[in-house]
Amino acid sequence: MKYEYIDDITSDVKFRAYGNNLKELFENAALALANIFCESDKIQNRKTIEISVEGTDRSDLMVNWLTNIIAEVDIEEMFFCGFEIVEVSNTILRAKAFGDDISPELGGTVAKAVTNFNFELKETKEGFMVQVVIDI
Amino acid sequence: MKDKMEKINDYEWLLPKSARKEMRVDGKLFGNQAIFDQVESDTMGQLSNVCCLPGVIEPVAALPDAHFGYGLPMGAVAAFDAEEGVISSGLCGFDINCGINSIRSNLMVKDIEDKKRELVTELFKTVPCGVGSKGKLRLDDKIDDVLELGAKWAVENGYGTKKDLDRTEEGGCMQGADPKKVSELAKKRGRPQCGTLGAGNHFLEIQRVAEVFDETAAKEWGIDQKDSVAVMLHCGSRGLGHQVASDYLKIQEQAVKKYNIWLPDRQLACAPATSDEGQDYFSAMKCAVNYAFANRLIMTHWIRETFEKVFGQDWESMELDTIYAIAHNVVKKEEHRIDGKKKEIYVHRKGATRAFPDIPVLIAGTMGTSSYICKGTEIAMEKSFGSSCHGAGRAMSRHAALKGFKGEEVSDNLLKKGIVSKATNWKSLAEEAPGAYKDVDEVIESVHGAGISPKVVKLEPLGVLKG
Repeated sequence: MKYEYIDDITSDVKFRAYGNNLKELFENAALALANIFCESDKIQNRKTIEISVEGTDRSDLMVNWLTNIIAEVDIEEMFFCGFEIVEVSNTILRAKAFGDDISPELGGTVAKAVTNFNFELKETKEGFMVQVVIDI
Repeated sequence: MKDKMEKINDYEWLLPKSARKEMRVDGKLFGNQAIFDQVESDTMGQLSNVCCLPGVIEPVAALPDAHFGYGLPMGAVAAFDAEEGVISSGLCGFDINCGINSIRSNLMVKDIEDKKRELVTELFKTVPCGVGSKGKLRLDDKIDDVLELGAKWAVENGYGTKKDLDRTEEGGCMQGADPKKVSELAKKRGRPQCGTLGAGNHFLEIQRVAEVFDETAAKEWGIDQKDSVAVMLHCGSRGLGHQVASDYLKIQEQAVKKYNIWLPDRQLACAPATSDEGQDYFSAMKCAVNYAFANRLIMTHWIRETFEKVFGQDWESMELDTIYAIAHNVVKKEEHRIDGKKKEIYVHRKGATRAFPDIPVLIAGTMGTSSYICKGTEIAMEKSFGSSCHGAGRAMSRHAALKGFKGEEVSDNLLKKGIVSKATNWKSLAEEAPGAYKDVDEVIESVHGAGISPKVVKLEPLGVLKG
């Protein structure tokens, strides 16, 4: 499983994303987020942007990565359908994000921000898991 | 934490500071028995956390629509000493100056009945709705002016009138907003979005005055005619405000360490009121507040133009005047009477509306249910730092709503009640189905009974636009 939504928060969205390695973890968390904004499987891959973020540790890097994606939806006015992590360490990430210009009929809702509530990033037997609550 | 609460009277419940050793002051819940029964213990736990912060002034108050939030519950007010207290980005929340503009008219329900669908369709074309909705206005190098001047900028540029500013909290412009304190990323997000509604619980509604409770106030505000048509616009500072909040949460998380502030919950990130980290946030937040005031007034202008197009009259002759425009996520420096003395304090309203004496308090219901206009009072000044509730509050997650409701059915059910609805897609209608929210009537009965904002009129929807 790449990610799942956990339905125990009344007003917002919680998801868990998984990965065998950090690359997969960051990719899948981004996909879970992208799917709040839109039906990401219906979005064409017509436009690519590059995103670079830094963080003080893995958790901070994850929060900054997701916050950056939220910002790019507004700035580039695009919906995302996929991500490729080019390089990731505990403190630096370089990635490509794929998608298309926004089409409101495919829209979901606005993800306002990544919160600290119930945030958890940990190593598991299979690799990594992150749990994130998004304010919508 | 709820088990520690004591009934004060039919509309007030005390969370005594004895409930927890770290609490510096009492907490309070405004609500009738039904509200008390419904409120989650975790929500009161969050309230108790805020009672532990430095310089907090009694009481930290949960309003009847309070529900679990981040740090402070949504639907709450917390005030801090201007010298000894804190200013908190965590307490204000992500959607800075999410708020409401209410507009009246001299049109009656019968005048618009035949054109209701056309009106909703035209409004949907004119007011950009939905996630990532593209604004028609590109601010480019004007963004700093909007952040500094707020709705005044809108008026100077042909959107709205001076009269609208007179009917807006803070005159539509918080003084002391400093665009230099707003990050370039936040500005980038804000440039294309001024004059857009957004999505989620934001909406535009055509309403009718369904019931008048206070003839005198209703007459003064021009809403005393039953079945007259009104408009309610609910939205905020869009991506710009979200980014300002995210940026300063990080800055204030560091400040908490720097100034050695003990926090019961990391989400209550804050900084001493007199520190740079506190004042910089306050200046940046004011920018987001101003952006939202401009955002709503620009859309008000387009709403008026749409009425002109559909009804073939100018908006002045239809008297599409602003009843009032308010913020319900905001930090304000205000003068209040504390222990008998006038004092300047920082009031954090999160999902809470200013309820100063004789000023309109705008409270949004849900699609298909009622909204209300109430009136602020001296009692609110004494008991809740001049604050009241802001809405109904969700009872069901969006995910659960999607499982429980279908957008087409929601739309059909609204139509059976005579309500025309339009959304960017069916999903957003299902997510915001009336059944996914708490009963707004109990919330209103509570603020009315407690005397913090008695009812003036009840409004019912005729047409709904969702993002």
